[in-house]
Amino acid sequence: MSLHLDALTVTLGRGDSRTTALDGFGATFRPGVLTALVGPSGSGKSTLLAVAGALLRPDRGRVLLNGTDLAALGDRERARARRERVGYVFQSGNLLTGLTAEEQLLAAASIAGRRPRALRARARELLTEVGLAHRLAHRPDQLSGGERRRIALARALLLEPELLLVDEPTAAVDRSRAEDLAALLVRTTHRYGSVTVVATHDPVVTEAADATVDMLRPPVSASA
Amino acid sequence: MFLALLELRAARGRFLLMGSVVVLVAALVGIVSGFTTGLGDDTVSALRRLPATHVAFASGSASDQFARGLVDDRTATGWGREERAEATPLGVTLTRGTTGRGTEVDLAAFGVVPGAFTDPGADAGAPLDAARPGGIVVSRRLVDEGVRVGDTLTVDRLGITLDVVGTTGRSAYGHVPVAYVTTDTWRRIRFTVPGATARPAELPAQYSAVALRLPPDAGAAALAAADRRHGTRTVTLEQAFAAAPGYDGERLTMTSIQSFLFLIAPLVVGAFFAVWTVQRTPELALLRALGASRRRLLGHTLAQAALVVAAGTATGGALASAVGLLVGAQVPFSLPATTLAATLGAVALVGLAGTALTLRRVATVDPMTLLGAAR
Ligand SMILES: Nc1ncnc2c1ncn2[C@@H]1O[C@H](COP(=O)(O)OP(=O)(O)OP(=O)(O)O)[C@@H](O)[C@H]1O
Ligand SMILES: [Mg+2]
Repeated sequence: MSLHLDALTVTLGRGDSRTTALDGFGATFRPGVLTALVGPSGSGKSTLLAVAGALLRPDRGRVLLNGTDLAALGDRERARARRERVGYVFQSGNLLTGLTAEEQLLAAASIAGRRPRALRARARELLTEVGLAHRLAHRPDQLSGGERRRIALARALLLEPELLLVDEPTAAVDRSRAEDLAALLVRTTHRYGSVTVVATHDPVVTEAADATVDMLRPPVSASA
Repeated sequence: MFLALLELRAARGRFLLMGSVVVLVAALVGIVSGFTTGLGDDTVSALRRLPATHVAFASGSASDQFARGLVDDRTATGWGREERAEATPLGVTLTRGTTGRGTEVDLAAFGVVPGAFTDPGADAGAPLDAARPGGIVVSRRLVDEGVRVGDTLTVDRLGITLDVVGTTGRSAYGHVPVAYVTTDTWRRIRFTVPGATARPAELPAQYSAVALRLPPDAGAAALAAADRRHGTRTVTLEQAFAAAPGYDGERLTMTSIQSFLFLIAPLVVGAFFAVWTVQRTPELALLRALGASRRRLLGHTLAQAALVVAAGTATGGALASAVGLLVGAQVPFSLPATTLAATLGAVALVGLAGTALTLRRVATVDPMTLLGAAR
């Protein structure tokens, strides 16, 4: 049980904007461990999450999630992996307009082919756990940025994914909220035993994390 | 379906707006269709109910033949002698009459030979009878206008007095209700000059056309040869509709209105869904990022469109029927359930075809655009 990234190379864009975002990156992430992914802006953190989360196919390298190489899967199979095995909290744009907090979770359940009604109680439990018991019926435009991110986290946890990817959870969040969020991430990682990777600039998160991977000094690197 | 419904609810304002446009388009198509059928019936229902297969007109006129051309007795008997053909003279003329009780009516007098296949008989009262040459059988709408069995009906200006002997079903020609008379009476109506008193025997033995019943395998060549022998131009009963006043023009007008509506429907629905799809591209990207398959997104976009289009056309159909009930008594409007269903089915189909235009966009949404937003 682990996420093993092996010699990942990713180039983005075409022509003049062509950029090598990852160049032979390698690292291993363990279950039940929250790893903070750090590095300066533009060092490829978001790109790495996208590759690990089967959103983006690398030019080269392997993404081994408990033995299956997500990078080698076809489009359809990667979509399936995303809905069944990965929980993803994007930096923004996480929620569907017009749906309540609870429905955001149930919609994800429905995408994964689960009966929304069967997961309603669990959804409420998770929303309570992220401190939003009193916001079940609120829609995105009625919630703060931090609350929206906590809903996205609850949604990512709903189906107990093997892999939990979180991009900049504490951006634009005050210090005490950031501490709460970091603690919540650590707690849930330990409880559900997920492989958790959090891209962050925030020392609050790095301090709370079980391990740290620096984009500039990856633990296993193979130069292309 | 859960997601599709959630989305519908979340954007219910927009979908309601869209639904109302579909309702209006469908209602308009239904109403136009009702008028097309109604006006058509009002112009040619009398011809449509003739149990003839063909009509032979005098050669020489190509339009309005019922009013312009005349065939004589010999032509009719000549056609009757053709192998496997039944022929009977038919007189058609528009006139006016006043009943003994002072009811004034317009009517299309159809001259038929009593007992011939063109004779409609009578639903109430007695049919035409050669022995009672002054009889007239009136159709439904004349009854609605107040003409009763037993009334006398005087043909205006000519002073010809007829006895209403029977009634028959709805039958109209050139927007005027039909009344059936014997061919002898018809000749009096057609050829008598106001003020003059000619006896029937002195009037020309001529008619508007010859109604024919030909075997289904009658070939065009045989028909043309017979036409040459009898100096006629024979057309099918359907083609003879065009000889009714205004028939072609009305049809052209109504069908062009309908065609435009059928063009507008998919464009309106298509444009709506195009805007809607562009607007929610970020959400579609999110759904893809969360692992929704292309097929699923297409499925639920289609389901939403189908729901809106189906509900819209059904409501539009109900609206059109209601309009029909309201105005049906005053104006020629006829919208049988089958016509309505077919029309609405077509509206729904072209509406959905409009959505198909945007499906490509739904299918090609890139989940990575979500990360673009996050950068
Ligand atoms: N679509 C693209 N086309 C070309 N280059 C891109 C594209 N997207 C990202 N890049 C480049 O790839 C590199 C890695 O980007 P990425 O978003 O992964 O960095 P990051 O470490 O997440 O930065 P930040 O901390 O600011 O979020 C950057 O230099 C960026 O400019
Ligand atoms: Mg980033």
